[in-house]
Amino acid sequence: MVARSWWVLLLAMGPLVGMSFISSVRTYAEVSGLNGTSGGVGEAMAPLIGVWAPTFSACELAAVFLLPFVAIRLVAGDRQSGALKLELQRRMPAFARIGAKGLVLLAGWLAAMLPPLSAIVLWKSYGGALYAPELMSLVAGHILNAGLTIALAAAMAALTEHPSTAAILTLSVTVGTWIVDFFAAIHGGFWERAAHYIPSAMVAQFQHGLVQLDTVLIALVLIASGLAVAAIWTRLGVAVKRRAYESAGLCALAAGLIFACSLVNGSRDFSESRDNSFPEADEEVLRRLPQPLTIEVHLAQEDPRRNELERRALSKLRRATRHLQIRYVSRTSIGMFEETSPHYGEIWYQADGHKVMSRVTTAEGVLESIYAVEGVAAPPDTSEIVFRGHPLAVPPKGAGTMFYVLWPGIVIASALIVRRRLR
Amino acid sequence: MLFEVSGICKRFGRIAALSDVSFQVREGEVLGLIGPNGAGKTTLLECLAGVLPSDSGAVSPRDFSSRLFYVPDGIAPWPSQPVDWALDFTIGFFGGRAERRDEVIEQLDLRPLLRQSIGTLSKGQRKRALLAIGLLTPQPVLLIDEPFDGLDLRQGREIAAALRRHAARGRTLFLSIHQIGDAGRFCDRFVLLSGGRVCGEGTVADLAALARARDASAVYGNMEEVFLALT
Repeated sequence: MVARSWWVLLLAMGPLVGMSFISSVRTYAEVSGLNGTSGGVGEAMAPLIGVWAPTFSACELAAVFLLPFVAIRLVAGDRQSGALKLELQRRMPAFARIGAKGLVLLAGWLAAMLPPLSAIVLWKSYGGALYAPELMSLVAGHILNAGLTIALAAAMAALTEHPSTAAILTLSVTVGTWIVDFFAAIHGGFWERAAHYIPSAMVAQFQHGLVQLDTVLIALVLIASGLAVAAIWTRLGVAVKRRAYESAGLCALAAGLIFACSLVNGSRDFSESRDNSFPEADEEVLRRLPQPLTIEVHLAQEDPRRNELERRALSKLRRATRHLQIRYVSRTSIGMFEETSPHYGEIWYQADGHKVMSRVTTAEGVLESIYAVEGVAAPPDTSEIVFRGHPLAVPPKGAGTMFYVLWPGIVIASALIVRRRLR
Repeated sequence: MLFEVSGICKRFGRIAALSDVSFQVREGEVLGLIGPNGAGKTTLLECLAGVLPSDSGAVSPRDFSSRLFYVPDGIAPWPSQPVDWALDFTIGFFGGRAERRDEVIEQLDLRPLLRQSIGTLSKGQRKRALLAIGLLTPQPVLLIDEPFDGLDLRQGREIAAALRRHAARGRTLFLSIHQIGDAGRFCDRFVLLSGGRVCGEGTVADLAALARARDASAVYGNMEEVFLALT
């Protein structure tokens, strides 16, 4: 870990985190009533969404644009310098060797995550509220995301002759995942399902405190597959044809595992605000719905109402009840010319021959329709235990010094010391 | 006999780098692999070391690869790490001979370079560091690609003496050398490679006899003349 690329990553993390932390704390303070602005709105503020998601988004940026170069440097550097020819003569499994490099890179990434972790200390010193489970899920999400980047970059570095080619291919895959996201927004269907597992979507789940088992398992399969591809292609003494066959077999196995993992249910909402869940009393009723439920939504893919319905209600509903089928019906992707169609905008709820139609896309409206069609009573109002937020109207004191001066200073001094020791 | 190579072939597209290469390596000998540029010396060593796949051929016994260590030419492994780190890594990672660390450092005059990173070393210094890595490994057979390349006359002689001392302790050395004069003075036996084929194998006397068999009228005074006659 004496590579310049790692020091650059460390150095960049300070200002990146500083900028996002300072601006998010300022915004949080303003909506919490600082300087006499909009007092009271802050009651709805959750630190996870208001501060930690934007602060840790610096990690996402670094994982996409900086970490790949560190990983490529470590894996491709060995091939370029000739160290690989020496290392291969230690008769150890190739996966163990590449796995060890992966762990070293992960340790390097954890060091790079010190700035956002130190932001937590600063926030605490301001008197800010912390909820450990949601913070830990956020950190875990970014570690998993880094694992994906490391595995991808290692595979590309092993597959290509030159590090610059590996860097281009790694970034191309990242851009490719954004294209999948774009296709999902337009076409829905398979693309929407696939977009659910791209790194940015996975991080977004963790940013909301949601940990879904299928996402985690698929990420782990992808990490293992990437490292295995890297292991296969760093075995220079094995014929290229055999390595190609092994890679094809591995890809087929990974595809099968990914499909199997996508069928796994199970998730947990770690957010203090229960951002991804209905109120507990409603979830209790939903878990015991007497009849299987079918929902038919007549809204186009790009209709904002569909997004709102999905985000506010249906994603929560999928987690709360098992016997659920959701069908989207639309002829176009934008819905502009479907508005005049007789059923456009309707949401049909069916259970055991009963049908209820509604156009409401809020969580409350959806729950009301479900209770009506299922013929069950709504739970009593539990508004007294609803999350009210942790407003904090303080400026980000000391954060500028910490992230723009102290952290870069420490990194530069450490780099110079290491460099001097090597001379 | 320590191991026997038979029928090794290697092609790079249309070019046959090695064609039916066969020879024997005997225990405790210093075997020189000599041949002109492009003869396939490095390819052969890499195939034997398992860092390049051969197309066909065999080496017996089958576990031979675990008994040899190959020191490539022209590499700068772990360029940002200092020499002493590389030596310690060799001892730790390859199960090397820790008790010989200081001895090897003295023999190869590496003491002043220990804190210097490998990427900043000159060609000759890097060669000495690579030889030290090879000499610290535990395998009984050491394959070295161009051990004297980049060294001046004095260093070349010192390193030849050091390699001889290690050979005298029972370590088998298989060295690819393109300077025929050096090879003639240093090696016990030779494998002569030209155009990817073995043109001869044996001592200077054996090879001279082989050359004489081709041209009975010629007189061969040294290894260089034998080499020119056979390649």
